[in-house]
Amino acid sequence: MNMNRNGNGFGERLQQGWREFRSMRTALVLLFFVASGAIFGSLFPQRNISPQRVTQYFSDHPKIAPLLDRFGLFDVFGSPWFMAIYLALLIALVACLIPRVRTFLRIVRARPPAPRPRLDHYRNAAAFTAPVSPEQAVAATRRVLRRRRFRVVAHGPGELAAEKGYLRESGSLVFHVSFLLLLIGLAYGKGFGYRGQITLIEGQTLANTRIAYDTFTPGRFFGPSRLAPFSLRLDRFANTFYDNGTPKEYASWVTASTLDGRRIGGQKITVNHPMTVDGVRVFQSDYGYAPVVTVRDKSGHILAADPVLSERAPVSEVSTGAIKLPSLNPQVGLALTFFTGLEVQGGQFFNDPRLVDPVLVVLPYQGDLHANQAQSIFTLDTTKLQLVGSQPLVLSLGKSGKLANGLQVSFSGLRRYTVLTLARDPGVPVMATAGTLILIGLIPSLYVTRRRVWLRAVSDPAAAGESGGARVELAGLALQGKLAFVEEFREIAAEVQRELLSSGSGSSPESPSEQAGSTLSGSPAVRR
Amino acid sequence: MSPASLANLSETLVWFAVIAYMAAAVLYGLEFAYRIHWSGRAGLAVAVAGFGANLGAAVTRGLAAHRVPWGNMYEYSIMVGIILVGGFLVWSRRRPEVRPLGVFFLLPAVLAIGVAGVALRVPAGPLVPALNSGWIKIHVAAAITGSSVLSLAAIFSALFLVKDRIERRRETRLPPLVAGGARTADQVELQEALAGYEAEAEVEAEPTAGPPADGPAPRSLWDRLPAARTLDELAYRTAAFGFPIWTFAIIAGAIWAQSAWGRYWGWDPKETWSFIVWVVFAAYLHARATAGWRGRRAAWIALVGMGCLLFNFYVVNTWIVGLHSYAGIK
Repeated sequence: MNMNRNGNGFGERLQQGWREFRSMRTALVLLFFVASGAIFGSLFPQRNISPQRVTQYFSDHPKIAPLLDRFGLFDVFGSPWFMAIYLALLIALVACLIPRVRTFLRIVRARPPAPRPRLDHYRNAAAFTAPVSPEQAVAATRRVLRRRRFRVVAHGPGELAAEKGYLRESGSLVFHVSFLLLLIGLAYGKGFGYRGQITLIEGQTLANTRIAYDTFTPGRFFGPSRLAPFSLRLDRFANTFYDNGTPKEYASWVTASTLDGRRIGGQKITVNHPMTVDGVRVFQSDYGYAPVVTVRDKSGHILAADPVLSERAPVSEVSTGAIKLPSLNPQVGLALTFFTGLEVQGGQFFNDPRLVDPVLVVLPYQGDLHANQAQSIFTLDTTKLQLVGSQPLVLSLGKSGKLANGLQVSFSGLRRYTVLTLARDPGVPVMATAGTLILIGLIPSLYVTRRRVWLRAVSDPAAAGESGGARVELAGLALQGKLAFVEEFREIAAEVQRELLSSGSGSSPESPSEQAGSTLSGSPAVRR
Repeated sequence: MSPASLANLSETLVWFAVIAYMAAAVLYGLEFAYRIHWSGRAGLAVAVAGFGANLGAAVTRGLAAHRVPWGNMYEYSIMVGIILVGGFLVWSRRRPEVRPLGVFFLLPAVLAIGVAGVALRVPAGPLVPALNSGWIKIHVAAAITGSSVLSLAAIFSALFLVKDRIERRRETRLPPLVAGGARTADQVELQEALAGYEAEAEVEAEPTAGPPADGPAPRSLWDRLPAARTLDELAYRTAAFGFPIWTFAIIAGAIWAQSAWGRYWGWDPKETWSFIVWVVFAAYLHARATAGWRGRRAAWIALVGMGCLLFNFYVVNTWIVGLHSYAGIK
């Protein structure tokens, strides 16, 4: 390692690299990478949003899908490369913030600089004479500026420097630091929280344990033993539609109790009104129908009599389900299609989403159900199955029918079920705070402007009144909001002038714009 | 009035607004091209009339459907027209040099509403259950306002790029009006600002209109645009106004998602693209404070942001599947 003095040493290069890393330019580059990476996440189906679409993509594009998967394009926001980009952005943020906080504290402690020798070089400059002593001029200017909440500092006799607008930088710092807080809240919530879905049929009670969940996504530090001890019961579910068939509302009436049966609370849960039980929020997610189907064999023994969960297709409200009887020989499977209101119009089938005429269509199969292989509970694996008979069984509510193999199927009842999402995210208060701070910091960082005003007052015997004479020079500089500052500076200069002239001997000199040596420059209206 | 007749009135008002905006665009265009000043004033009057009709269309639509008039893409587009034209009218009131630019702001409004009227129209009806919450007034209203204001900034940026190119060729560029000024720690930047001021004291710097009326005759149509640095400043100030609104829209959306779907962020395509738009305009604001990135590069970033806004609205709502598919159209 050669740390020589001409600046090409390894240490020097490291320092330069670090300075470059925490520069604005790097921030810009990283922001673009984040945006571009996010674009990929919206163009390809994502596993965490809809795994079935990912599977569909694999079957539609069998050649390129595994390659895309390798690059993490089906889980962009959890993939290592995306995490690397936003981690880099956050490190660059921290790296940039540390010197800026230090500088900001230094600026706040330091004084605004003394007025330069030639104040008339500034774009915003004013000069006039007044029949007051320089000390009075200084005092009056200080009063005017303090009223406008400037920070005023004296630099030698007859000189003032004033500054305003620190809120801009402090707002910007709050804004940027809040992103770190956001990250902390995110990590904490994801780590110590969980999310899962449960399915409840009307009348059913489920305890909040691991096996009750259909899907369960715990945080890294969340174990199933941390699940809050309560149970939920679906008392009733109702969905309503408008006259034209669009959904109006769907609601679950849910009661929460302790594990030994004592009622904690109950609520009508709809899409925008979740329930909170013991720190866990319960959201209305989905719903479906569970026709109660009784299957009897030839001698009248009941083979199945439970409600059958069926998967509802949105918009059409047609549901599909299956009953599997692997204990029979040959095995029997019944493919169920449930219609809420089947109607035939002009040779086409329509399903009225409102429950006007529940009809169950049963397609019986027999053969090998592949029951020992993982499969959906809503469909049959028909690769080794044959249809029994040639006609499906069409049953309205309450009716029964006989299958070709002697089994008797009756559509004995209809229940609904609800799918509830339970989620616990302890990071939410932190995120809420971070979000608020982001907004609170953003607005001053964009709208507050940093500006400075200087005064130099020297004694001028020619303008002497009772208490003396002074030549007053004012100048101002705005780092941002230059046009608006032109107006503000004119007001300040006019106010100072008014104060000085009114506190003078009472003799009123000519108006400011006519006075010799008075220039209120910087305003286009005056220049025209 | 019955809901049906209110809905009909709303549609009539929409068409009136579109026609008025088109007529105003023509009148503004005549002023811009041939310096016919009465044409510009007439354009203003017609634009204001169109704005009133646009506003009325939204109000009657809301009354017809018994809810806020921004529940689907059609209504969203009508609201965007209101904010675009309203924003232009506000700017032209505060800065007279903006008024001749009317054609550049009215035509996008015509496009937005026209596309909605032709391709996105749905009858006035109730909201789907997921949208039926008080949050729609806050989150969607902020999204409409934020996206329209940021689009205004992009239009200013496009005009800046045109004028900047002309000025470069003629070498008549003036120092920038807005330094951005995020780097308060930079002594060099401060010196630059001071030096710039001293230099400007010698230049008859006119921060308002372009070449004076009695100056050399403009050689091309685009010379009549305000000075490039004015357009740049207008773009920045508009973007600085719209960016907090867009930030708020995203945060409000997250809060609503938390109460409706149980998670504040799920990288749903609409959430993702709103985030992309946010990042691009954040990059715009950063670029304006970075030496070497101000001016043209920043303006291009603003245009990329506008592209993302258009994608977010027209493509993500209709093509890409997600929880946010509330286009209303099938």
